[in-house]
Amino acid sequence: MTPPTHEMGKWTDEPSLCPAVEVGRVAYNRRLAEGLFEIGIAAPGIAHAVMPGQFVHVRLPGMEGHILRRPFSVFAVDQGMALSLVYQVRGCGSGHMSSIAPGTELGLLGPLGRGWRCPPETRRALLVGGGVGAAPLFLLASALTQQGVLLDVILGAQSAGAQVCLARFERLAALSATTRIALATDDGSLGRAGLVTPLVEEALQGGLFEGARLQGVSPGGIHPGMAHREGGQPQEAGKGPTPYGYIAACGPEPMMRAVATLAAQTDALCEVSLERHMACGIGACLSCVVETAQGLRRSCVDGPAFNAREVLS
Amino acid sequence: MSVAMQVDLGGLLMENPLTTASGTFGSGREYAAFVDLDALGAITTKGVSLKPWKGNATPRIAETPSGMLNSIGLQNPGVDAFIETDLAFLSAYKVPVIVNVSGHSIDEYVQVIERLEGEDRVGAYEVNISCPNVDAGGMAFGCHAPSVEAVVSRCRSATKRPLFVKLTPNVTSIAEIARAAQDAGADAISLINTVLGMAIDAHTRKPVLARAVGGLSGPAIKPIALRMVYEAYRAVRIPLLGMGGIMSGQDAIEFLLAGATAVAVGTASFVNPRAVADCKAGIEAYCVRYGVKDVNELIGGLIC
Repeated sequence: MTPPTHEMGKWTDEPSLCPAVEVGRVAYNRRLAEGLFEIGIAAPGIAHAVMPGQFVHVRLPGMEGHILRRPFSVFAVDQGMALSLVYQVRGCGSGHMSSIAPGTELGLLGPLGRGWRCPPETRRALLVGGGVGAAPLFLLASALTQQGVLLDVILGAQSAGAQVCLARFERLAALSATTRIALATDDGSLGRAGLVTPLVEEALQGGLFEGARLQGVSPGGIHPGMAHREGGQPQEAGKGPTPYGYIAACGPEPMMRAVATLAAQTDALCEVSLERHMACGIGACLSCVVETAQGLRRSCVDGPAFNAREVLS
Repeated sequence: MSVAMQVDLGGLLMENPLTTASGTFGSGREYAAFVDLDALGAITTKGVSLKPWKGNATPRIAETPSGMLNSIGLQNPGVDAFIETDLAFLSAYKVPVIVNVSGHSIDEYVQVIERLEGEDRVGAYEVNISCPNVDAGGMAFGCHAPSVEAVVSRCRSATKRPLFVKLTPNVTSIAEIARAAQDAGADAISLINTVLGMAIDAHTRKPVLARAVGGLSGPAIKPIALRMVYEAYRAVRIPLLGMGGIMSGQDAIEFLLAGATAVAVGTASFVNPRAVADCKAGIEAYCVRYGVKDVNELIGGLIC
């Protein structure tokens, strides 16, 4: 497969943009692991416009009794024209989705939401993904790599088989001397056994990615001797030193909360991606509101990426 | 063949019978990329209260067969912010604006109207005595004829603008409630608001909505809505704004035949952001197909 060539648009504080309705054609729909699937949808308009962390709102054919669209973060963009989405089979909607055949036309609305906002001056960034939460981080990883940001990625999952997003991250790391990956699995079948939290803690202290051969660092992602020594950011008084200017986390909420708590002890900007039940996806229905330091915000247009300090404290 | 689409909804002239159901369309800003707002007969805004309301806890929605439950709880920034942002936004358009008015008490309804009386962009008020998702006000006023009359007559005294009253289906006799609204001075009746419902997650043994119960909308409630428009049409002389599960032009036609003068598209906009424009096109196509020169010919045109 061709490596991702997605170009990231400029970072913006403006809520998005110009969502459009587009008919997409399913290119593939494959099982990645137990209950986990990846669907590829040719949709050049959205594929061209999507920015890291944004989502599409999908209307599935054959589910007319289930009237609402389903929101999915965009995982990857292939050949500049096909969207890849990773999804977990949970209810009847995602169950039906797993049976959709290539060639089927889907109604898409997107790109939607305000994605990741890594400050442009960032020299080194840490991305933390848990389970399918790794998916919304991949376009960000691609974009940051292209911008020359030194990138460390920590991915956790239940087992080696459930690390379904890993292959794309590994291909990215193989092409980039400045991108490295560390892994954790609940059952210890790949990388460090247990949660990602201890890895995040070590990374924030500057230790995890500095050595050449640490347990839990994937062979494809490690580049010995490429320690990011120059990547330190200016420190605020009273905060611990960390190599990172920016941290993005996506996964189960307890994981994001743990990452946010660790990040709060540094002066790095930490963003998390929040998922809420939503109807319209464009900011009108007020279903998906999130309690923030500035009051209620809509996860569909003010997020899904939020500053962790404003939503998880 | 050109179809005459203009309707008069209780003194509000609409270029066509299409408006938006309150709470499903914001004040149009989010939909302006999808729909020419000036091509609508009117925009009905989200409910506006005197002070900011925070709304309910999440989850606020649940999908149910052919519909959805919501318990948003009338989250809104209050009438002052509404004037500064929403009405300011709408000043760039010429589409008539129906402001949905909410309150915890009769005085609050009246104060919202009084605050809006000086605003030129307001074309009509829709008094919301039917929201099932707030503890005080809302549906509590809309279930008994005496309280309907009390709210509506006070609001009537506060304005000479067209005054609509939005009714709840969660009543024994919609005819009785509709007559109470008419007798208290309403110029038109909007119906129906959502049907009180509930969803339960068998796996967690908990309600799906944080507030346990919510309002059912979407195609699932269309038969209830049609029946209530049909009954109200026989009970009152004032025009009706029909709504409840309208997804297509054909659905809208069914409401006109049952007795509605105009129709509102609600939940459909969540699924298809162009739904209200598509419904308008569908009404026109129906009229062309059946040789209907003026949509007004269809109002109450049910054959039975």
